[in-house]
Amino acid sequence: MKLRYDVHNKYHRFAIRSAVTVASLIIFIYVWWIAAMLANKSVLPTPYRAFEALLHLIKDGDPVQKGRTLWSLIWLSILKLGKGFGLAFITALPVGLLLGNFKLFREFFSPWIEMMRPIAPIAWAPIFVILFTVGNGPVMVVFIGIFFPLLTNIIFGVQKIDRTLVDAARTLGASDWQIFTKVLAPSAVPYVMNGIKTGLGVGWMCIVAAELYNTTLSGVGYYIKFMIDCSRYDYAFAGIIVIGILGFLTTGLAECLSRVVSKRMGVDIR
Amino acid sequence: MFIQSCFQKDGGRHTITKTDDENQDEHSFASEIYKGTSKEETVMKVNHLRVVYHTDDNETVAVEDFSLDIEKGKLISIVGPSGCGKTTILRCLAGLLQPTSGEILVNNKKCVSPGSDRGMVFQDFALFPWRTVRQNVEFGLEIAGVSKGVRKERALKYIKAVGLEKFADSRIHELSGGMKQRVGIARTLIMHPAVILMDEPFGALDAQTRNIMQEQLIKIFEQSEKTIVFITHSVDEALYLSDRVVLLSKRPSIIHQIIDIPWERPRNRADPEFTNLRKKILDYLAGQNVIG
Ligand SMILES: Nc1ncnc2c1ncn2[C@@H]1O[C@H](COP(=O)(O)OP(=O)(O)OP(=O)(O)O)[C@@H](O)[C@H]1O
Ligand SMILES: [Mg+2]
Repeated sequence: MKLRYDVHNKYHRFAIRSAVTVASLIIFIYVWWIAAMLANKSVLPTPYRAFEALLHLIKDGDPVQKGRTLWSLIWLSILKLGKGFGLAFITALPVGLLLGNFKLFREFFSPWIEMMRPIAPIAWAPIFVILFTVGNGPVMVVFIGIFFPLLTNIIFGVQKIDRTLVDAARTLGASDWQIFTKVLAPSAVPYVMNGIKTGLGVGWMCIVAAELYNTTLSGVGYYIKFMIDCSRYDYAFAGIIVIGILGFLTTGLAECLSRVVSKRMGVDIR
Repeated sequence: MFIQSCFQKDGGRHTITKTDDENQDEHSFASEIYKGTSKEETVMKVNHLRVVYHTDDNETVAVEDFSLDIEKGKLISIVGPSGCGKTTILRCLAGLLQPTSGEILVNNKKCVSPGSDRGMVFQDFALFPWRTVRQNVEFGLEIAGVSKGVRKERALKYIKAVGLEKFADSRIHELSGGMKQRVGIARTLIMHPAVILMDEPFGALDAQTRNIMQEQLIKIFEQSEKTIVFITHSVDEALYLSDRVVLLSKRPSIIHQIIDIPWERPRNRADPEFTNLRKKILDYLAGQNVIG
C-alpha cells in the first residue's frame, strides 16, 4: 500500500487556513508600516510605535492620567455596552414578538421602523449626550444601534415560524398563551441570536463613537480622544487596536453562541 | 350493492368467498350507495360541510358538500384527486379551520375549535425540533398540566409501543423519516383522542418504510380500537388499511362514493378482488384528474 498525502484531510486544511491568516496579518502590518513611513507624520504612527504604546498601556496604564489601567477603561466601555444591549434586548423582544405575530401592529409600526432604522446611531450621539447626560448618552446610542437589527431579526423570525407546528400544538390542546411560550418563543430563538450577533457588532461601533463626545473620564473611546487631544497618537492607536480586538472577540463569541443555540434548538437558519 | 367478499382464514391460506353478484360492472360500481350500519356508535358526524377560500382577487370553493358519519373503531380513508380539498376537510375536522357552512359534531356536541379529543398526524411530521423524542411525545400531557413523573412514564410507554425506546432521548434531526412519523403517532396516541386524523401520514416516506408503517398502524389500530380518519393519495394504501373508503370528486368536491371494505386483515394486495376494486377507483380518479 502506498501512503499518499491527502490534501483534503482536516490538518492540511487547518494548516492552510492558519498560514493564510498569518500572511494576511503580516501584510496588513507591512502596508500600515509603509503608509506610516510615507506619510511621515506623528498622527499616523508606525505599527512598531503603536504596539510599543499598547505594551506600555497594558503594563503601566494611562500615561497621562495616572492610575487608570487599560482594564478599567475596557470595563467602563463594556459596562455601557452591556447596559445598552440589555435595554435593547428587553424592549426588542416583546415588541418584536408582538409585531411579528400581529399584522395590524406590524403595518402600523413599520413606517416608524423604516424611518428610524437607516439613521446612523452615531448621529444621535451629540443629542443623546445632552438629553440623557454624558454618562447615559452613550448607553442610549448603543441601545438604538442594537435595537433595530435585533427587532427586525425577531420580526422576521416570528414570521418564519412553521405554521404546522402551531397547528400541531393546537390539536394537542394548547392555549394561545401556551402556543406563545412553548412554540413561538423557542422557534424564534435562533433568529434572536442572529439579531444579537449583528447587534453586538454595531454596539461596539456605537460605544466608541459615542464616548468621543464625553467630557468626563470614560471608556476606551474617551481615552482615544483624550490621547489625540494630547497629541499622543501612538497611544491613541494602541486604543484603536484594543477596540479592534474587543470587537473581534465579541462577534466571535456571539457567533459561537448562536451556533450552539441553533444546534440546541434543532434549527439551522443559515 | 356492497362488495361483500371477504378473506377467511383457512389453514393459513386465504380463500375468497363471494356473496355478491359475480359480474359487477362499471355501472353497478358507480351506483353503489352508502348504507350506514346504524348499530354502531357514531363518534363524529359531519353535516354538509362547505368550505370557500377567499383570496385577494377571487374565491375558491374547495369543498362543495361533504357529510360523513364516523363510527367508533373504524378506519376510514378519504381518497380523491389532488387539490380536491382533502386537507381542507381534515383541518375542519381538527377544528383548525372554520367551514363556511355546515357543522361538525363530536359525541353530539358541536365543535368549533381544536381539542385533544381529536388528534392529528401531519404529513411533514410537525415535530418540535428543539425537543427530544420523549419531550415531543410528552407535549400534550405537559399542556394538560400532568406532573413530570407521570408524564415521563406514560411517554416512555408510548415510545416503546412505536418501537423507539432506544431513541427516547434523541433529537428529532437524528431520526429517519419513518421514525419521525412514529414519534408523531405516539404524540397523538398518548392523548387518547376519540378520533385520530391523519393527513397523508406516510406520503413523505419511501415505499418500503411505508409498508412497514402500514403494518404498524394496523397493529396499533387493532390493539387500541381507535377511530381513524386517514387521507391518502394511494388507492392501494386505502384499500389495504381501511374499513371504509370515501371517494371524492374533483374540486369543488362532493362525495362520489363510499365503499365499505369488509375484508379481514391482513389483506392480500394480489387478490383479484383487491386489484379489481383498485383499478375501478384508479380509473375514476384518472377521469377526475384536472391535469390529464
Ligand atoms: N389557504 C388557502 N387559501 C386559498 N386557497 C386554498 C388554501 N388552501 C387550499 N386552497 C385551495 O383549496 C383547494 C383544496 O386544497 P387542499 O389542500 O385541501 O387539497 P388536497 O386535496 O389536500 O390536495 P393534495 O392532494 O394535493 O394534498 C386547492 O385548490 C387549493 O388551491
Ligand atoms: Mg393535502
